[in-house]
Amino acid sequence: MPSVDEVKSSWADEVEEVEGGNLPPPIEKSDGNSKTITEYSLNDDGKKVKIVSHYRIEKHRVARTIAERKTWKKYGLSKNDKPGPNPATTITAEDVFMHFLSNKEEEQNEQEELKKKLMDAQKGQVKCRLCKEDHWTKQCPYKDKLEPLRSSLLGDEKVEDDAQQAGGTPGVDKAKMAGGTQGKYVPPSMRDGGSKKGESMMSSRGRDETATVRVTNLSENTREQDLQDLFRPFGDISRIFLAKDKNTGQSKGFAFINFKKREDAAKAIQILNGYGYDHLILSVEWAKPSGTQ
Amino acid sequence: MKPIMLQGHERSITQIKFNREGDLLFSASKDPKPNVWYSINGERLGSYDGHSGTVWCIDVKWDSSLFISGSADQTMRIWDVETGTSNTTLEMKTSVRGVSFSYSGTMIAYTTDKMMGHNSELNIIDVREPNNVDSTPIMKTQVTPTYTKALSVLWGPLDEYVVTGHEDGSIIKWDMRTGKEIQVGQEHSKQIKDMQLSHDGMMLITASKDTTARLWDISNLEAMKMYKTDRPVNSAAISPLVDTYPHVVMGGGQEAMDVTTTSSRIGKFDARFFHLVFEEEFARVKGHFGPINSICFHPNGRGYASGGEDGYVRVHVFDDAYYQFKFDF
Repeated sequence: MPSVDEVKSSWADEVEEVEGGNLPPPIEKSDGNSKTITEYSLNDDGKKVKIVSHYRIEKHRVARTIAERKTWKKYGLSKNDKPGPNPATTITAEDVFMHFLSNKEEEQNEQEELKKKLMDAQKGQVKCRLCKEDHWTKQCPYKDKLEPLRSSLLGDEKVEDDAQQAGGTPGVDKAKMAGGTQGKYVPPSMRDGGSKKGESMMSSRGRDETATVRVTNLSENTREQDLQDLFRPFGDISRIFLAKDKNTGQSKGFAFINFKKREDAAKAIQILNGYGYDHLILSVEWAKPSGTQ
Repeated sequence: MKPIMLQGHERSITQIKFNREGDLLFSASKDPKPNVWYSINGERLGSYDGHSGTVWCIDVKWDSSLFISGSADQTMRIWDVETGTSNTTLEMKTSVRGVSFSYSGTMIAYTTDKMMGHNSELNIIDVREPNNVDSTPIMKTQVTPTYTKALSVLWGPLDEYVVTGHEDGSIIKWDMRTGKEIQVGQEHSKQIKDMQLSHDGMMLITASKDTTARLWDISNLEAMKMYKTDRPVNSAAISPLVDTYPHVVMGGGQEAMDVTTTSSRIGKFDARFFHLVFEEEFARVKGHFGPINSICFHPNGRGYASGGEDGYVRVHVFDDAYYQFKFDF
């Protein structure tokens, strides 16, 4: 190993050596298809610098004219260059990637999202009295079938309607009304499950969790309303829990969404897992039962 | 892709060009020394020392024996590629803006600038004897004041006519025998910055300051396609593998003079790949710090090189992603 000779007994000797301008000769090592050249030189401060250059040797089969041109002597500004690329003029740049655009998809997605948003916005405003869908009652496709039914059940309907209007957004107030559908306030203890004591608590909780999804990698600025907008299209939501910092009120980056139906939750997971939201990629999965966490 | 950066110029690149086989890459810049590089590893073969002004345009003969450069020092030089020495210097009255070897390499067409009371001209000279060139043109046409000045020039198929690109955005086909114009193609609204032929020489792509590039049928100057961007296009090239990869690459960016006065929006200096037929952009490659002034495909279609206002030439070799990409109809 030639490098053994270069090891100096003390740093003082080494300085002397450098001042004397005695630099080790360049070492060239090559094995098969790679070559390593170790050179020593003095930099502007008079310090010895070791330069290690790695080359990959490639063999190409080319036309004779090209091979001939490869043997030409260098001239002009490169007259004194050694064979091979001169690091002063030829630099291997950083990796760049071809950034493929899928304009069409993006545009379509955007349009669809816009549409969805518009639909969502309309949902709260217009509601059919017959089938509860978001269109005017007059335009209801089930008008003929449902109209007579409705008139016969008018009493019940009214109550329900009132109940719906009492709350803010339909998704949330439905959740509130889960206990009972009367217009009056009913204390929890008097509601359907109230008399069943602890057992009912457990079961209701258990049922909830089967349709709960956990969303992680949310951005700090996410608010409940955003989640509502995001998850509402998949089905009725009974509860949204967004973990927030107590002091700042900013999101901690995860949330739980309780859907009413397990299918809706499954749909949400399927579609929104990996969905890019507010520059982050959402991860949506089934929430683990709270006991195991 | 790991591009090779060629740093041989002190000023912004004006034109780059591969030779026919693609093993050599020539570059010219606003400094007076054009360079030639081995495209495979970016090694500099040499520089052509002799000009004393901006080198606006370059071309290389099909057999890579001769290299011509037109400069703002009002000369055009013919060089020996192997030794880097100049055989011939032709004195002009104004700077030379476009040069082009004919397909057979026996003639050179060049255009001169309109300057100091001199008109822009299109000339053709005979270079069958490169060491003893007769500087009196075999065809001479005054372009101005009938038309605006011609900035780039290309030969049509079979060396029957030449096509020039003009300051007002028109392209004109000239009969090489009579020196009369055959046809005028007026589609661009601003200056033509660059013209390049397709591999088979039947199509022509023009890059214009009016933010578009257009594809022309060279036989009848029919504007076939238009590629729209949001910035002046300085250069455009057609892939030589046009049958399997019908792609067009375009380089541009804000005008150099505007770069410092407008907000520096990122991503305006990238090379943009368009589908030749559907005129839709499908990919971008970043890298330059200034507008791209000249861009061309490697003749084997497996890479491209770009030269920018930043003075660098970047040589790219496509990786698999490029070949695997399927255009979404």
